[in-house]
Amino acid sequence: MDIFLERLFDGVTNGAVYAIMALALVVVFRSTGTINFAQGEMALFTTYLAWWLTTVGLPIWAGALAAGATGFLLGAVVERTLIRPIRRRNDMASLIVALGLFTAFNALAGLLWNSETKPMPSLFPAGLEDFFPVAGARLYWDALGVWLVVLALIAGVFFLFNRTRLGLQMRAVADNAESAALSGVPTGRILMLGWGLAGIVGSLAGVLVTPLSATQLSLTTMFPILIYASAAALFGGLDSPVGAVVGGLAIGVLEALITGYVEFIGGTLPQTAALVVIVLILLFRPTGLFGTRQLERL
Amino acid sequence: MTPIHVRTGSAAHRGLQIAGLAAAAGALLLGATMEAFRVGQLTNVMIFAIAISGLNLATGYTGLLSIGHSAFFGLGAYTTGVMVVTYGAAPMTTIPLAVLLCAVLGFVVGLPALRIRGLYLALVTLAVGVAFPEVVRRFEDLTGGAAGLVIRSRQLAPPEWTGLTVPQRGIWLYWVSAAALLITLVLVRNLTRSRLGIAMIATRDNEIAAAASGVRLATVKTTVFGLSGAVTGLAGSLFAMYVGALSPDGSFTLLKSIELITGLFLGGAATLFGPVVGAFAVVYLPYFTADLASGHVSGVIFGAVLIAIVFLMPEGIAGVAGRFLGRFIRIAPHENQGERP
Repeated sequence: MDIFLERLFDGVTNGAVYAIMALALVVVFRSTGTINFAQGEMALFTTYLAWWLTTVGLPIWAGALAAGATGFLLGAVVERTLIRPIRRRNDMASLIVALGLFTAFNALAGLLWNSETKPMPSLFPAGLEDFFPVAGARLYWDALGVWLVVLALIAGVFFLFNRTRLGLQMRAVADNAESAALSGVPTGRILMLGWGLAGIVGSLAGVLVTPLSATQLSLTTMFPILIYASAAALFGGLDSPVGAVVGGLAIGVLEALITGYVEFIGGTLPQTAALVVIVLILLFRPTGLFGTRQLERL
Repeated sequence: MTPIHVRTGSAAHRGLQIAGLAAAAGALLLGATMEAFRVGQLTNVMIFAIAISGLNLATGYTGLLSIGHSAFFGLGAYTTGVMVVTYGAAPMTTIPLAVLLCAVLGFVVGLPALRIRGLYLALVTLAVGVAFPEVVRRFEDLTGGAAGLVIRSRQLAPPEWTGLTVPQRGIWLYWVSAAALLITLVLVRNLTRSRLGIAMIATRDNEIAAAASGVRLATVKTTVFGLSGAVTGLAGSLFAMYVGALSPDGSFTLLKSIELITGLFLGGAATLFGPVVGAFAVVYLPYFTADLASGHVSGVIFGAVLIAIVFLMPEGIAGVAGRFLGRFIRIAPHENQGERP
């Protein structure tokens, strides 16, 4: 029972991180209609930045703030300079640009901070003794911290989308950019803000997950998370923030239970398992759980 | 200046074709006389040209972006590797099996393309590309797992009838690759001019309009993915003979897919010779930047080049060169042939 609970806690913690990353993907998809493959590597870059700031003596929360700010800037600049000019051309062009960014940001992080693995300090107390027992299982403070951040983030995103003028404009642009523009919404600025917001959310995911990750901070830290987050976003429906969170948690818990209990897959095929999920969802329910079906006008 | 007009099938056109072939043959002969290291590099270029030509069929001509072609490359390589090491097959006899397996895998990957497209299809191919190294590691007994698979150079000896010895296997593979590349280019050229080729381009340009004009999207997409996988698998098979040591994390990761995509778009998507031009870039770019900081510089350059092409040169080098040549020589269809669609 206690082993099951611990696996469940692990799953929820990982799932929370996937949910954050999936949220970033969903925000971009809603604003621009594309999946930003580079989201994970942009987050990797800002996480390296946060790590670097801690090595020069700043506390980790300052590093996290700086990572968030850089994430916002990167997202906004990438949208304005690279995505917007080619958006109208076709899917392929924005995918190629995203692949280019993916490669470039990963290599740039390696170039600036070399490819050795780096231990990353946590935002929360993360000692071996920093836990409290729940029915015989250990719930660590840093896991609980991640859960709380996810809750706060979800609340924030919902407040933004449903209760603010900015959120209303974002939804309007996502729904129909031309009508929004005709109604006086500054479409361009809204898209930039959307990408910037996704940048902040992604960076936060990076800073939160690396101290928990077995690999700590290395050049390959974020890619598996991006894969799981894509699976989560697709599972929940690419245009649904609720779906991202539900999908993230579901994938996280499934992953923990499968690696724990299914021997054939075990620890060796985890990404393949997530990807099989992606393919199955795309084949049988392309809109995911909460997504809306897209109509195409001829 | 007005361009010279040449009709297809005329004596002038034949002359141009023969001159082009002669130039290619000359370049190959010249390449064969270089030192062994350079011959190896050129072999690598030709293998990449074949792999990128395969990708070109799906991504360039049919508009199905694949981020998973590293898996076809890998499957081809591992088929040859396993057949040679475990079953003692002669390297050349493993090529048909490698091509066949990759065609089947391509067909299977093409199946989701019937329901989904664009971005979502790219995700499916991404899945295949990421899964391949993990699967290789999982089936350790067959593939050697993470430790890799080593083909001894004795097992890669040229066939006896060539009269070549084991140390001469470099030059043997050079000519095999050249022949394979030539066959690939002829096949791609003929395919893209066939009925299927026109259907491919129509599918890329407007799927709905193509379907309305009687193109069977399902047949076109699955066939193209199968062919595309087969051609890239052929390259993988040759690559196994070229490197002689296979490891899941060495040459068959997502980075390989990104290299192939960069090569394709830099060289020129949907052009016959674009993949050849792109292959030179993909092989020589890391070579010239290798001694700077363990490959990170070439990563940054690859990324920057990919983005730059989209903005500055969407037709790629071959596309731009073709347009430039078009100022001097225009090749028009034969009079009796009627208008091309």
